[in-house]
Amino acid sequence: MIFMDTEIIDGDISLLQMSDSFFPTGLYATSNGLEALSQVKKLKSNDISQFITIYLQQVVGPCDCTALGNAYESCKKRDLASLIKTDESAYYIRLIEEPRSASVRSGNQLLKCVSTFSKHKKMIKYYQNAIGIGKATGVYPVSFGVATCSLDIPKNKAGLILLYGFTVSVIGAALRLGILQHIDGQKIIHELRPAILKSVLRNIDRPISSIWQFAPGLDILQMKHEAMSSKMFIT
Amino acid sequence: MPSNRIPRVGIGGPVGSGKTMLIEQIVPILSTKGYKVGIISNDVVSKEDAERMRRNLATERGLMPEDLVIGVATGGCPHTAVREDPSINLSVVEELESKHNYLDLILIESGGDNITTTFSPALADYFIYIIDVTGGDKYPRKRGLGIESCDLLVINKIDIAPYVGADLKIMERDAKIVRKSKPTVFVNSKTSQGIDSVISYIINDVLFAAAPKNLVKR
Repeated sequence: MIFMDTEIIDGDISLLQMSDSFFPTGLYATSNGLEALSQVKKLKSNDISQFITIYLQQVVGPCDCTALGNAYESCKKRDLASLIKTDESAYYIRLIEEPRSASVRSGNQLLKCVSTFSKHKKMIKYYQNAIGIGKATGVYPVSFGVATCSLDIPKNKAGLILLYGFTVSVIGAALRLGILQHIDGQKIIHELRPAILKSVLRNIDRPISSIWQFAPGLDILQMKHEAMSSKMFIT
Repeated sequence: MPSNRIPRVGIGGPVGSGKTMLIEQIVPILSTKGYKVGIISNDVVSKEDAERMRRNLATERGLMPEDLVIGVATGGCPHTAVREDPSINLSVVEELESKHNYLDLILIESGGDNITTTFSPALADYFIYIIDVTGGDKYPRKRGLGIESCDLLVINKIDIAPYVGADLKIMERDAKIVRKSKPTVFVNSKTSQGIDSVISYIINDVLFAAAPKNLVKR
Protein backbone atom coordinates (compact mmCIF):
# COMPACT_ATOMS: atom_id res chain seq x y z
CA MET A 1 0.00 0.00 0.00
CA ILE A 2 1.42 3.44 -0.96
CA PHE A 3 0.17 6.62 0.64
CA MET A 4 0.04 9.68 -1.66
CA ASP A 5 3.41 10.62 -3.10
CA THR A 6 5.46 9.36 -0.19
CA GLU A 7 7.37 6.10 -0.10
CA ILE A 8 5.83 4.89 3.12
CA ILE A 9 5.03 1.20 2.86
CA ASP A 10 3.58 -1.47 5.15
CA GLY A 11 7.07 -2.79 5.87
CA ASP A 12 8.00 0.56 7.42
CA ILE A 13 5.27 0.21 10.01
CA SER A 14 6.42 -3.36 10.71
CA LEU A 15 9.94 -1.98 11.08
CA LEU A 16 8.74 0.43 13.76
CA GLN A 17 6.79 -2.37 15.45
CA MET A 18 9.80 -4.72 15.55
CA SER A 19 12.15 -2.01 16.82
CA ASP A 20 9.82 -0.97 19.63
CA SER A 21 11.06 -2.00 23.06
CA PHE A 22 7.41 -2.87 23.75
CA PHE A 23 7.68 -5.74 21.26
CA PRO A 24 7.56 -8.92 23.39
CA THR A 25 10.88 -10.72 23.13
CA GLY A 26 12.07 -10.63 26.74
CA LEU A 27 15.17 -8.60 25.89
CA TYR A 28 14.45 -6.20 28.78
CA ALA A 29 15.62 -8.98 31.13
CA THR A 30 19.11 -9.26 29.61
CA SER A 31 22.14 -7.11 30.39
CA ASN A 32 24.67 -9.06 28.28
CA GLY A 33 27.17 -9.18 31.12
CA LEU A 34 26.80 -5.52 32.10
CA GLU A 35 25.36 -6.50 35.48
CA ALA A 36 28.41 -8.67 36.20
CA LEU A 37 30.74 -5.88 35.05
CA SER A 38 28.99 -3.36 37.28
CA GLN A 39 29.76 -5.61 40.28
CA VAL A 40 33.52 -5.43 39.71
CA LYS A 41 33.94 -1.92 38.36
CA LYS A 42 32.32 1.46 38.96
CA LEU A 43 31.02 2.24 35.49
CA LYS A 44 30.61 5.63 33.87
CA SER A 45 28.69 6.75 30.83
CA ASN A 46 31.72 6.38 28.57
CA ASP A 47 32.22 2.77 29.71
CA ILE A 48 28.71 1.89 28.53
CA SER A 49 29.39 3.35 25.13
CA GLN A 50 32.62 1.33 24.85
CA PHE A 51 30.89 -1.80 26.14
CA ILE A 52 28.25 -1.58 23.40
CA THR A 53 30.81 -0.71 20.73
CA ILE A 54 32.88 -3.80 21.53
CA TYR A 55 29.77 -5.94 21.34
CA LEU A 56 28.79 -4.39 17.99
CA GLN A 57 32.25 -4.93 16.52
CA GLN A 58 33.11 -8.30 18.04
CA VAL A 59 29.88 -10.16 18.76
CA VAL A 60 26.53 -8.82 17.61
CA GLY A 61 27.85 -7.60 14.25
CA PRO A 62 29.95 -10.53 12.99
CA CYS A 63 27.78 -13.15 14.67
CA ASP A 64 24.16 -12.06 15.07
CA CYS A 65 23.96 -9.71 12.11
CA THR A 66 25.59 -12.26 9.80
CA ALA A 67 23.21 -14.94 11.05
CA LEU A 68 20.29 -12.60 10.47
CA GLY A 69 21.40 -11.81 6.91
CA ASN A 70 21.75 -15.49 6.03
CA ALA A 71 18.46 -16.44 7.67
CA TYR A 72 16.75 -13.64 5.78
CA GLU A 73 18.09 -14.88 2.44
CA SER A 74 17.15 -18.48 3.25
CA CYS A 75 13.64 -17.34 4.11
CA LYS A 76 13.38 -15.32 0.91
CA LYS A 77 14.50 -18.33 -1.17
CA ARG A 78 12.37 -20.69 0.93
CA ASP A 79 15.47 -22.74 1.56
CA LEU A 80 14.86 -24.57 4.84
CA ALA A 81 18.09 -26.58 4.65
CA SER A 82 20.27 -23.47 4.58
CA LEU A 83 18.12 -21.88 7.29
CA ILE A 84 18.78 -24.89 9.54
CA LYS A 85 22.50 -24.63 8.79
CA THR A 86 22.47 -20.96 9.80
CA ASP A 87 20.53 -21.83 12.96
CA GLU A 88 23.12 -24.45 13.86
CA SER A 89 26.05 -22.06 13.34
CA ALA A 90 24.41 -19.24 15.30
CA TYR A 91 23.54 -21.59 18.16
CA TYR A 92 26.86 -23.36 18.62
CA ILE A 93 28.95 -20.21 18.34
CA ARG A 94 27.41 -19.02 21.61
CA LEU A 95 29.84 -20.31 24.20
CA ILE A 96 28.02 -19.44 27.40
CA GLU A 97 24.89 -21.31 28.45
CA GLU A 98 22.93 -18.38 29.92
CA PRO A 99 22.93 -16.14 26.82
CA ARG A 100 22.50 -19.18 24.58
CA SER A 101 19.33 -20.35 26.29
CA ALA A 102 18.01 -16.76 26.60
CA SER A 103 18.54 -16.34 22.85
CA VAL A 104 16.64 -19.54 22.07
CA ARG A 105 13.77 -18.59 24.35
CA SER A 106 13.47 -15.08 22.91
CA GLY A 107 13.74 -16.37 19.35
CA ASN A 108 10.97 -18.91 19.79
CA GLN A 109 8.64 -16.38 21.38
CA LEU A 110 9.38 -13.93 18.58
CA LEU A 111 8.38 -16.52 15.97
CA LYS A 112 5.25 -17.36 17.90
CA CYS A 113 4.25 -13.71 18.06
CA VAL A 114 4.98 -12.82 14.41
CA SER A 115 3.29 -15.98 13.13
CA THR A 116 0.00 -14.68 14.48
CA PHE A 117 -0.08 -11.64 12.16
CA SER A 118 2.42 -12.06 9.31
CA LYS A 119 0.86 -12.51 5.88
CA HIS A 120 3.75 -14.72 4.72
CA LYS A 121 4.04 -17.28 7.46
CA LYS A 122 4.96 -20.37 5.48
CA MET A 123 8.68 -20.22 6.30
CA ILE A 124 7.92 -19.37 9.92
CA LYS A 125 5.84 -22.54 10.11
CA TYR A 126 8.53 -24.65 8.40
CA TYR A 127 11.14 -23.27 10.80
CA GLN A 128 8.90 -23.86 13.83
CA ASN A 129 8.31 -27.42 12.67
CA ALA A 130 12.07 -27.95 12.39
CA ILE A 131 12.43 -26.61 15.95
CA GLY A 132 9.62 -28.87 17.13
CA ILE A 133 11.40 -31.99 15.90
CA GLY A 134 14.79 -30.87 17.22
CA LYS A 135 16.41 -30.04 13.87
CA ALA A 136 16.75 -26.35 14.76
CA THR A 137 16.75 -24.24 17.91
CA GLY A 138 15.09 -20.91 17.02
CA VAL A 139 18.08 -18.90 18.23
CA TYR A 140 17.19 -15.20 18.25
CA PRO A 141 19.05 -13.65 15.28
CA VAL A 142 17.91 -16.44 12.97
CA SER A 143 14.31 -16.14 14.14
CA PHE A 144 14.65 -12.40 13.70
CA GLY A 145 15.79 -12.87 10.09
CA VAL A 146 12.84 -15.15 9.34
CA ALA A 147 10.38 -12.81 11.07
CA THR A 148 11.57 -9.63 9.34
CA CYS A 149 11.64 -11.33 5.94
CA SER A 150 8.09 -12.54 6.54
CA LEU A 151 7.05 -8.98 7.33
CA ASP A 152 8.60 -7.51 4.15
CA ILE A 153 11.12 -5.46 6.10
CA PRO A 154 14.19 -4.85 3.88
CA LYS A 155 17.22 -6.88 4.99
CA ASN A 156 19.53 -3.98 5.78
CA LYS A 157 16.84 -2.33 7.86
CA ALA A 158 16.26 -5.63 9.67
CA GLY A 159 19.97 -5.55 10.55
CA LEU A 160 19.57 -2.01 11.87
CA ILE A 161 16.62 -3.03 14.04
CA LEU A 162 18.57 -5.96 15.49
CA LEU A 163 21.59 -3.87 16.43
CA TYR A 164 19.51 -0.91 17.53
CA GLY A 165 17.43 -3.25 19.70
CA PHE A 166 20.58 -4.67 21.23
CA THR A 167 21.89 -1.17 21.96
CA VAL A 168 18.63 -0.07 23.55
CA SER A 169 18.47 -3.21 25.68
CA VAL A 170 21.94 -2.53 27.11
CA ILE A 171 21.06 1.11 27.74
CA GLY A 172 17.87 -0.03 29.48
CA ALA A 173 19.87 -2.38 31.66
CA ALA A 174 22.35 0.41 32.50
CA LEU A 175 19.47 2.69 33.52
CA ARG A 176 17.98 0.04 35.80
CA LEU A 177 21.39 -0.73 37.29
CA GLY A 178 21.72 2.96 38.12
CA ILE A 179 24.79 3.46 35.93
CA LEU A 180 23.19 5.99 33.58
CA GLN A 181 20.58 8.70 33.69
CA HIS A 182 17.81 8.70 31.10
CA ILE A 183 19.18 11.57 28.99
CA ASP A 184 22.71 10.11 28.99
CA GLY A 185 21.22 6.90 27.63
CA GLN A 186 19.60 8.66 24.69
CA LYS A 187 22.82 10.56 23.98
CA ILE A 188 24.77 7.31 23.80
CA ILE A 189 22.22 5.75 21.43
CA HIS A 190 22.50 8.82 19.21
CA GLU A 191 26.29 8.77 19.23
CA LEU A 192 26.42 5.06 18.40
CA ARG A 193 24.55 5.49 15.10
CA PRO A 194 27.72 5.29 12.96
CA ALA A 195 28.93 2.17 14.81
CA ILE A 196 25.55 0.48 14.35
CA LEU A 197 25.39 1.38 10.67
CA LYS A 198 28.97 0.31 9.99
CA SER A 199 28.44 -3.02 11.73
CA VAL A 200 25.31 -3.77 9.70
CA LEU A 201 26.90 -2.89 6.37
CA ARG A 202 30.04 -4.84 7.16
CA ASN A 203 28.32 -8.04 8.29
CA ILE A 204 24.85 -8.55 6.90
CA ASP A 205 25.90 -9.89 3.49
CA ARG A 206 28.70 -12.18 4.65
CA PRO A 207 28.23 -15.94 4.13
CA ILE A 208 27.38 -18.06 7.15
CA SER A 209 30.72 -19.87 6.79
CA SER A 210 32.42 -16.64 7.87
CA ILE A 211 30.40 -16.14 11.05
CA TRP A 212 32.61 -15.32 14.04
CA GLN A 213 32.72 -13.68 17.42
CA PHE A 214 35.66 -12.91 19.65
CA ALA A 215 35.26 -11.13 22.96
CA PRO A 216 36.85 -13.32 25.65
CA GLY A 217 36.57 -10.61 28.30
CA LEU A 218 32.83 -10.39 27.71
CA ASP A 219 32.53 -14.19 27.71
CA ILE A 220 34.20 -14.31 31.12
CA LEU A 221 31.78 -11.65 32.37
CA GLN A 222 28.84 -13.74 31.16
CA MET A 223 30.30 -16.77 32.95
CA LYS A 224 30.65 -14.73 36.13
CA HIS A 225 27.05 -13.64 35.75
CA GLU A 226 25.92 -17.27 35.64
CA ALA A 227 27.49 -17.80 39.05
CA MET A 228 26.18 -14.64 40.71
CA SER A 229 23.85 -15.42 43.61
CA SER A 230 22.06 -12.08 43.46
CA LYS A 231 21.08 -10.66 40.10
CA MET A 232 18.35 -8.77 38.32
CA PHE A 233 19.06 -9.93 34.78
CA ILE A 234 18.97 -13.26 32.93
CA THR A 235 22.39 -12.62 31.36
CA MET B 1 -7.07 -25.51 25.13
CA PRO B 2 -4.30 -27.65 23.53
CA SER B 3 -4.14 -31.15 25.05
CA ASN B 4 -0.62 -30.68 26.39
CA ARG B 5 -1.48 -27.38 28.09
CA ILE B 6 -0.99 -27.57 31.84
CA PRO B 7 -3.20 -25.27 33.97
CA ARG B 8 -1.27 -22.33 35.41
CA VAL B 9 -1.83 -20.27 38.52
CA GLY B 10 -0.10 -16.89 38.83
CA ILE B 11 0.69 -15.72 42.35
CA GLY B 12 1.52 -12.03 42.78
CA GLY B 13 1.83 -9.59 45.63
CA PRO B 14 4.06 -7.07 47.35
CA VAL B 15 7.55 -7.93 48.64
CA GLY B 16 7.28 -9.88 51.91
CA SER B 17 3.55 -10.57 51.63
CA GLY B 18 4.14 -14.35 51.68
CA LYS B 19 4.03 -15.51 48.06
CA THR B 20 6.83 -18.04 48.53
CA MET B 21 5.47 -19.24 51.85
CA LEU B 22 2.02 -19.68 50.33
CA ILE B 23 3.51 -21.91 47.63
CA GLU B 24 5.42 -23.86 50.29
CA GLN B 25 2.08 -24.50 51.99
CA ILE B 26 0.11 -25.31 48.86
CA VAL B 27 2.50 -27.77 47.21
CA PRO B 28 2.72 -30.38 50.02
CA ILE B 29 -1.08 -30.53 50.33
CA LEU B 30 -1.58 -30.87 46.58
CA SER B 31 1.18 -33.46 46.57
CA THR B 32 -0.58 -35.47 49.29
CA LYS B 33 -3.68 -35.48 47.11
CA GLY B 34 -1.61 -36.85 44.23
CA TYR B 35 -1.21 -33.68 42.14
CA LYS B 36 2.17 -33.05 40.48
CA VAL B 37 3.21 -29.40 40.50
CA GLY B 38 5.93 -27.39 38.76
CA ILE B 39 7.04 -23.96 40.03
CA ILE B 40 8.39 -20.93 38.18
CA SER B 41 9.70 -18.24 40.49
CA ASN B 42 10.31 -14.73 39.15
CA ASP B 43 12.79 -12.99 41.41
CA VAL B 44 13.55 -9.29 41.25
CA VAL B 45 17.15 -9.26 42.41
CA SER B 46 18.12 -12.74 43.51
CA LYS B 47 17.48 -16.45 43.12
CA GLU B 48 16.71 -16.73 46.82
CA ASP B 49 13.02 -17.65 46.54
CA ALA B 50 13.61 -20.31 43.88
CA GLU B 51 16.52 -21.76 45.83
CA ARG B 52 14.52 -21.81 49.05
CA MET B 53 11.59 -23.62 47.46
CA ARG B 54 13.92 -26.05 45.71
CA ARG B 55 15.59 -26.84 49.00
CA ASN B 56 12.39 -27.02 51.08
CA LEU B 57 10.09 -28.79 48.63
CA ALA B 58 12.44 -30.84 46.47
CA THR B 59 15.77 -31.53 48.17
CA GLU B 60 14.60 -31.96 51.77
CA ARG B 61 11.04 -33.24 51.37
CA GLY B 62 11.29 -34.94 48.00
CA LEU B 63 7.90 -33.62 46.89
CA MET B 64 9.13 -32.86 43.39
CA PRO B 65 12.31 -33.18 41.34
CA GLU B 66 14.69 -30.25 41.83
CA ASP B 67 14.46 -29.23 38.18
CA LEU B 68 10.75 -28.52 38.59
CA VAL B 69 11.54 -25.34 40.53
CA ILE B 70 12.79 -22.83 37.98
CA GLY B 71 14.04 -19.34 38.81
CA VAL B 72 13.56 -16.56 36.25
CA ALA B 73 15.31 -13.19 36.40
CA THR B 74 13.17 -10.22 35.41
CA GLY B 75 15.69 -7.48 34.68
CA GLY B 76 14.20 -5.43 37.49
CA CYS B 77 10.82 -5.45 35.72
CA PRO B 78 8.55 -7.83 37.65
CA HIS B 79 5.39 -6.36 36.09
CA THR B 80 6.70 -6.69 32.59
CA ALA B 81 7.76 -10.30 33.04
CA VAL B 82 4.25 -11.50 33.87
CA ARG B 83 2.13 -9.01 31.99
CA GLU B 84 3.39 -6.74 29.16
CA ASP B 85 6.04 -9.14 27.89
CA PRO B 86 5.67 -12.60 29.42
CA SER B 87 7.84 -14.17 26.66
CA ILE B 88 10.48 -15.62 28.93
CA ASN B 89 7.94 -17.05 31.37
CA LEU B 90 5.90 -18.50 28.50
CA SER B 91 9.03 -20.06 27.13
CA VAL B 92 9.76 -21.74 30.48
CA VAL B 93 6.13 -22.88 30.73
CA GLU B 94 6.34 -24.43 27.26
CA GLU B 95 9.55 -26.21 28.23
CA LEU B 96 7.82 -27.64 31.31
CA GLU B 97 4.84 -28.70 29.21
CA SER B 98 7.06 -30.40 26.71
CA LYS B 99 9.41 -32.17 29.14
CA HIS B 100 7.03 -32.85 32.05
CA ASN B 101 3.59 -33.29 30.53
CA TYR B 102 2.54 -35.42 33.51
CA LEU B 103 2.29 -32.25 35.62
CA ASP B 104 -1.18 -31.29 36.84
CA LEU B 105 -0.41 -27.66 37.62
CA ILE B 106 2.21 -24.95 37.18
CA LEU B 107 2.52 -22.25 39.83
CA ILE B 108 4.10 -19.00 38.63
CA GLU B 109 5.29 -16.67 41.37
CA SER B 110 5.78 -13.07 40.27
CA GLY B 111 8.57 -10.93 41.62
CA GLY B 112 7.56 -8.90 44.68
CA ASP B 113 5.84 -5.76 43.50
CA ASN B 114 3.15 -3.20 44.25
CA ILE B 115 -0.63 -3.28 44.15
CA THR B 116 -0.89 -2.87 40.39
CA THR B 117 0.49 -6.32 39.56
CA THR B 118 -1.62 -8.48 37.28
CA PHE B 119 -0.85 -11.52 35.13
CA SER B 120 -1.27 -11.72 31.38
CA PRO B 121 -4.12 -14.16 30.68
CA ALA B 122 -1.77 -15.69 28.10
CA LEU B 123 0.49 -16.69 30.97
CA ALA B 124 -1.81 -17.53 33.89
CA ASP B 125 -5.28 -19.08 33.81
CA TYR B 126 -5.96 -18.07 37.40
CA PHE B 127 -4.53 -15.20 39.40
CA ILE B 128 -4.01 -15.23 43.17
CA TYR B 129 -3.02 -11.91 44.71
CA ILE B 130 -1.64 -11.99 48.24
CA ILE B 131 -1.31 -9.12 50.68
CA ASP B 132 -0.73 -9.10 54.42
CA VAL B 133 -2.21 -7.22 57.33
CA THR B 134 0.92 -5.21 58.12
CA GLY B 135 0.02 -2.63 55.50
CA GLY B 136 -3.06 -1.83 57.60
CA ASP B 137 -6.74 -2.64 57.17
CA LYS B 138 -7.05 0.09 54.53
CA TYR B 139 -5.28 -2.13 51.98
CA PRO B 140 -8.35 -3.66 50.23
CA ARG B 141 -10.17 -0.33 50.31
CA LYS B 142 -7.30 1.39 48.49
CA ARG B 143 -7.92 -0.97 45.58
CA GLY B 144 -5.26 -1.42 42.88
CA LEU B 145 -5.40 -3.71 39.86
CA GLY B 146 -4.07 -6.72 41.74
CA ILE B 147 -6.66 -6.57 44.51
CA GLU B 148 -9.53 -5.72 42.20
CA SER B 149 -8.90 -8.11 39.33
CA CYS B 150 -7.41 -11.24 40.90
CA ASP B 151 -9.49 -14.42 40.94
CA LEU B 152 -8.63 -15.04 44.58
CA LEU B 153 -7.45 -12.47 47.11
CA VAL B 154 -5.42 -13.97 49.95
CA ILE B 155 -4.85 -11.89 53.08
CA ASN B 156 -1.91 -13.31 55.03
CA LYS B 157 -0.41 -12.95 58.54
CA ILE B 158 -3.80 -12.66 60.24
CA ASP B 159 -2.19 -13.77 63.52
CA ILE B 160 -0.46 -10.42 63.89
CA ALA B 161 -3.47 -8.28 62.94
CA PRO B 162 -4.12 -7.20 66.58
CA TYR B 163 -0.51 -6.06 66.96
CA VAL B 164 -0.54 -3.82 63.89
CA GLY B 165 -4.01 -2.41 64.46
CA ALA B 166 -5.57 -4.13 61.46
CA ASP B 167 -9.26 -5.00 61.79
CA LEU B 168 -9.95 -8.16 59.75
CA LYS B 169 -13.69 -7.41 59.66
CA ILE B 170 -12.97 -4.10 57.94
CA MET B 171 -10.68 -5.85 55.46
CA GLU B 172 -13.35 -8.45 54.73
CA ARG B 173 -16.06 -5.84 54.31
CA ASP B 174 -13.96 -3.68 51.98
CA ALA B 175 -12.75 -6.65 49.96
CA LYS B 176 -16.40 -7.59 49.32
CA ILE B 177 -17.20 -4.05 48.18
CA VAL B 178 -14.15 -3.80 45.92
CA ARG B 179 -14.21 -7.34 44.57
CA LYS B 180 -17.96 -7.90 44.49
CA SER B 181 -18.57 -11.64 44.13
CA LYS B 182 -14.94 -12.70 43.83
CA PRO B 183 -13.57 -14.60 46.84
CA THR B 184 -11.17 -13.50 49.57
CA VAL B 185 -9.43 -15.91 51.94
CA PHE B 186 -7.74 -15.05 55.24
CA VAL B 187 -4.67 -17.15 56.05
CA ASN B 188 -1.75 -17.56 58.36
CA SER B 189 0.86 -19.22 56.20
CA LYS B 190 3.04 -19.97 59.21
CA THR B 191 0.45 -22.33 60.69
CA SER B 192 -1.49 -23.36 57.55
CA GLN B 193 -4.63 -21.67 58.87
CA GLY B 194 -6.92 -20.99 55.90
CA ILE B 195 -4.69 -22.80 53.39
CA ASP B 196 -7.31 -25.53 52.82
CA SER B 197 -9.62 -22.89 51.36
CA VAL B 198 -6.92 -21.79 48.91
CA ILE B 199 -6.41 -25.43 47.91
CA SER B 200 -10.13 -25.86 47.45
CA TYR B 201 -10.31 -22.88 45.06
CA ILE B 202 -7.36 -24.21 43.05
CA ILE B 203 -8.82 -27.71 42.75
CA ASN B 204 -12.32 -26.54 41.88
CA ASP B 205 -11.72 -23.37 39.84
CA VAL B 206 -8.44 -24.25 38.10
CA LEU B 207 -8.39 -28.03 37.89
CA PHE B 208 -12.20 -28.32 37.73
CA ALA B 209 -12.03 -31.04 40.36
CA ALA B 210 -10.21 -33.35 37.96
CA ALA B 211 -8.34 -36.25 39.50
CA PRO B 212 -4.53 -36.12 39.36
CA LYS B 213 -3.25 -37.28 35.95
CA ASN B 214 -1.27 -40.15 37.43
CA LEU B 215 -4.39 -41.54 39.12
CA VAL B 216 -6.54 -41.46 36.01
CA LYS B 217 -6.88 -44.87 34.36
CA ARG B 218 -5.95 -44.68 30.70
